[in-house]
Amino acid sequence: MNPPVSVIRSAAAEAVAPRKNPFAPRPGPARRAESAVAWIFRLATYFVLACGLFIFASIVWKGLPTVTSAFERTDTFPYVTNTFLFRAPETLYVFEHEGQKREMGDAAFRAFREAETAKAAAAGQPAPRFTTQTYVYAAGGIWPCIVGTVLLVVGSMTIALTLGVASAIYLSEYARDTAFVRFIRLAILNLAGVPSIVFGLFGFAMFVLFFGWNVSLLAGWFTLAFMVLPVVITASEEALKAVPKGFREGSLALGATKWQTIRKNVLPYALPGILTSSILGIARVAGETAPIMFTAAYVVRDKLPWDVEKISDFFLQGVMALPYHIYVVSSKIPQNEYTQRVQYGTAFVFLGIVALIAASSILLRNKLRGRYKW
Amino acid sequence: MSPAPSTPPATQADPAPAAAPAFAIRKARTRVLGLTLDECIQGFFGGNAFVAVIILALITLFLFREGADFFGQNRDNLTIYRQAGLEYVDLIRAQERDHTALTRYLSDVRLQTLRHHTEPRAGELRRDQARLTSRIAALRHASTPDPAALAEAESSLAETDAALSALLAEANAQLAAFDSFAERYSDAILPLRGLVSELGEVAVAIKERHENNLNFLQKRQQLLAAGRPEEAAAVQIVPIDFAAELAAITGAFPAYEESAAEVAKTLEQLVADALPAAPTPALSARLERFRQLTRDHLATYPATAEALRSWTPDRPVSFGESFTAFVFGRQWLTASFWQDWYGVLPLFTGSVLVASIALALAIPFGVGAAIYVNQLASPAEQRAIKPTIEFISAIPSVVLGFFGIAVLGEFLRMASGWDWLSWFPGFPFPERLNALTAGCLLGLIAVPTIFTLSEDAINNVPRAFKEASYALGATRLQTIVRIIVPAALSGIVSAVLLGLGRVIGETMVVLLCAGNRLTIPDFSAGLGVVTQPVHTMTGIIAQEMGEVVPGSIHYRALFVVGLLLFFIALGLNFLAQKIVRKYKISIG
Repeated sequence: MNPPVSVIRSAAAEAVAPRKNPFAPRPGPARRAESAVAWIFRLATYFVLACGLFIFASIVWKGLPTVTSAFERTDTFPYVTNTFLFRAPETLYVFEHEGQKREMGDAAFRAFREAETAKAAAAGQPAPRFTTQTYVYAAGGIWPCIVGTVLLVVGSMTIALTLGVASAIYLSEYARDTAFVRFIRLAILNLAGVPSIVFGLFGFAMFVLFFGWNVSLLAGWFTLAFMVLPVVITASEEALKAVPKGFREGSLALGATKWQTIRKNVLPYALPGILTSSILGIARVAGETAPIMFTAAYVVRDKLPWDVEKISDFFLQGVMALPYHIYVVSSKIPQNEYTQRVQYGTAFVFLGIVALIAASSILLRNKLRGRYKW
Repeated sequence: MSPAPSTPPATQADPAPAAAPAFAIRKARTRVLGLTLDECIQGFFGGNAFVAVIILALITLFLFREGADFFGQNRDNLTIYRQAGLEYVDLIRAQERDHTALTRYLSDVRLQTLRHHTEPRAGELRRDQARLTSRIAALRHASTPDPAALAEAESSLAETDAALSALLAEANAQLAAFDSFAERYSDAILPLRGLVSELGEVAVAIKERHENNLNFLQKRQQLLAAGRPEEAAAVQIVPIDFAAELAAITGAFPAYEESAAEVAKTLEQLVADALPAAPTPALSARLERFRQLTRDHLATYPATAEALRSWTPDRPVSFGESFTAFVFGRQWLTASFWQDWYGVLPLFTGSVLVASIALALAIPFGVGAAIYVNQLASPAEQRAIKPTIEFISAIPSVVLGFFGIAVLGEFLRMASGWDWLSWFPGFPFPERLNALTAGCLLGLIAVPTIFTLSEDAINNVPRAFKEASYALGATRLQTIVRIIVPAALSGIVSAVLLGLGRVIGETMVVLLCAGNRLTIPDFSAGLGVVTQPVHTMTGIIAQEMGEVVPGSIHYRALFVVGLLLFFIALGLNFLAQKIVRKYKISIG
């Protein structure tokens, strides 16, 4: 078993001066080309990431001050409020008064003008004249838009989840590979590719005009729900498929009916997966503008949604929505120092909400993947 | 499916009654309409699944319902265009437009001649001007005032101004002959122009009366429907005798012939004898070309006269004409006092142009990132990159559009002015919002779609392919380029098609950033066409849908555009699925 002395010696010599790994890649033109190409791919990847993050960062950077600088003390309970988040939009007046440049919202400007007029009248002078520049929606906040977006998302997701989960149960639990089922799957695939503006047109023609719902929450709910339905179905089916076959077989073997099996032994285990994947659908619903442009969104509305006389009015009223508000403030008013505040602020709040939803979905899903191992 | 005990099989003889097994189900199942509860539940779920089919059918139905009437209405629209003589006037107007294009050519030549006379001296003087102006501004705002230097700078600025204006005055004086020629040339068309505006007024008046009649007719019908026949009878409708009315227009043909002959004679004389001399061979060549163009223009006069002579208002507009006017129409012109045109071509080319820019950017980045993440990146990198790209796909398009208006458009315009980028076609460009701005942002929207689907496709390439390639001694690069990408190609192509579908259907970014100019982009600019403002199919729907009257031809036209979009999206989807299915690699 003892190796010859010469072998031991040579091994010791090697230990002193380590020989090169014969399998290590040798430098050469091919090797250089390979690493160059790898770098090109790497740079392309990181360039995309950098673009996305730059857009995100620039909006956060310019929009965050709008929100943080809007805190204000109040006399009633929480004793603090945020004038940007919790007020309605107003027209901004910019004018010069006694050599000072002032910016005021609509209500503040009227109060100021009355006070100045009263002061002048008391001093026996003619009423002061103000030459103002006005910018619509550039003062005040975005509270009605936030409320409207939340209502739209909640309503449409309720409809989409009901329809979507039921369809997914059929497709994953009951359906066999028949022509009918293939047809349904084809329809779902194609529905996913329909442009959102076409959903808007459809909603306008069917709900707004044909059903006579006018521009209303209800029309927006159904339009958005139909748009997001393929996402919900695909996600739910995946979650249902992830539940092992043994769960169903065990239950059926014990004499449970198919429905009992689904209800007790499949759905509870699939539910977390269904919900987390559907959150991505929520992000899509919250982010779309085109479908609600003619079906649910108003440019401006003074009343808040719950300020209605009859319950039915609640469903048949239009609302303001964040994405549409961004469109309005970025296309209908000029870009300058006075309007920047509300433009970036709205974009920031909206992006923040959507990013929060998307990030929570991605994180939850990654966590879930690790938890259930069957 | 055990039969209920109450209905024993009648044909077969019952075995011994005591032999019924202990576990036989004795309870009768609840049945609703002959179905067991489980079957009802299955039916309920199946019905829900069928909703997707119903929605797709409803979308098709409603788009057709609202859009189908468009072609009939457009036919009426084109019929009245012909009957009221607008078409006749437009034939003459085309001639006038041709001439205007020629005068534009001429003024371009003049500009170049002027430049030839004044450059490079004028350029130097302008640079001096700019330098001195900024120096004066700097001196004025300096913390330590230097009146002597300021006065000096101001006086030299005044000198430069004077020198520049003297130079320009001299050059303009040299061009006096050219100017008088240009003036005579552009005045030559006046007889025709007068005729066009005269006849145009007559035609518009006829059309207006026709439209009023239609309104009255509608009013009468409304009144009749409301049960007020006497009021309905009181609505006066004076029928239009188109033939008699048109006599005023077609009767002007001799006048047209006379003016056209006069114009032709003047123009021919002008280009034959009075063509001014040009200082350089290049400019002479251009003037020579101008002479040729004018003769070409004059050569069309007989054809126009023939077209006018044989023109008849009675020729019916066929349904096909109404269809081609939409599909191949080169103008989308609405709410015009003259004639509304609904041609989808400017919108379609705009959409295609923006989408191609987006794909040109998104394919290399999306596919490159997919190859990198799947084949080259470390696991830690993979875990970081994939969610980030998913996160990018969650950025709402309206926010991207806002970013384009607020930041990217301005940045690109600024970058287009940089000297080291001047090689790029179309740079520099004046408009902040154009196809390039929208295309860049749409590229960012398409990247996540292309990335995710291509990554899936690459991931599905069997491991054995890669291992076999390595075993044969191929390098990593060779394996990727020769084995993995070709094996995943069908998936990558379908990813690109789905990305294209996403980009064509995207609304908010193009509405906000594409510039919304309703003309076909000028493809003669080569690749520089990418920096022109365009309008798109999605953009026009979003922009105009809120303002149109439901049921009007404009409203229906928008629905037809929507229908076109819908079928493009379905077609792309179908193609993508077909490619995946057809070229699926078999794993042997």
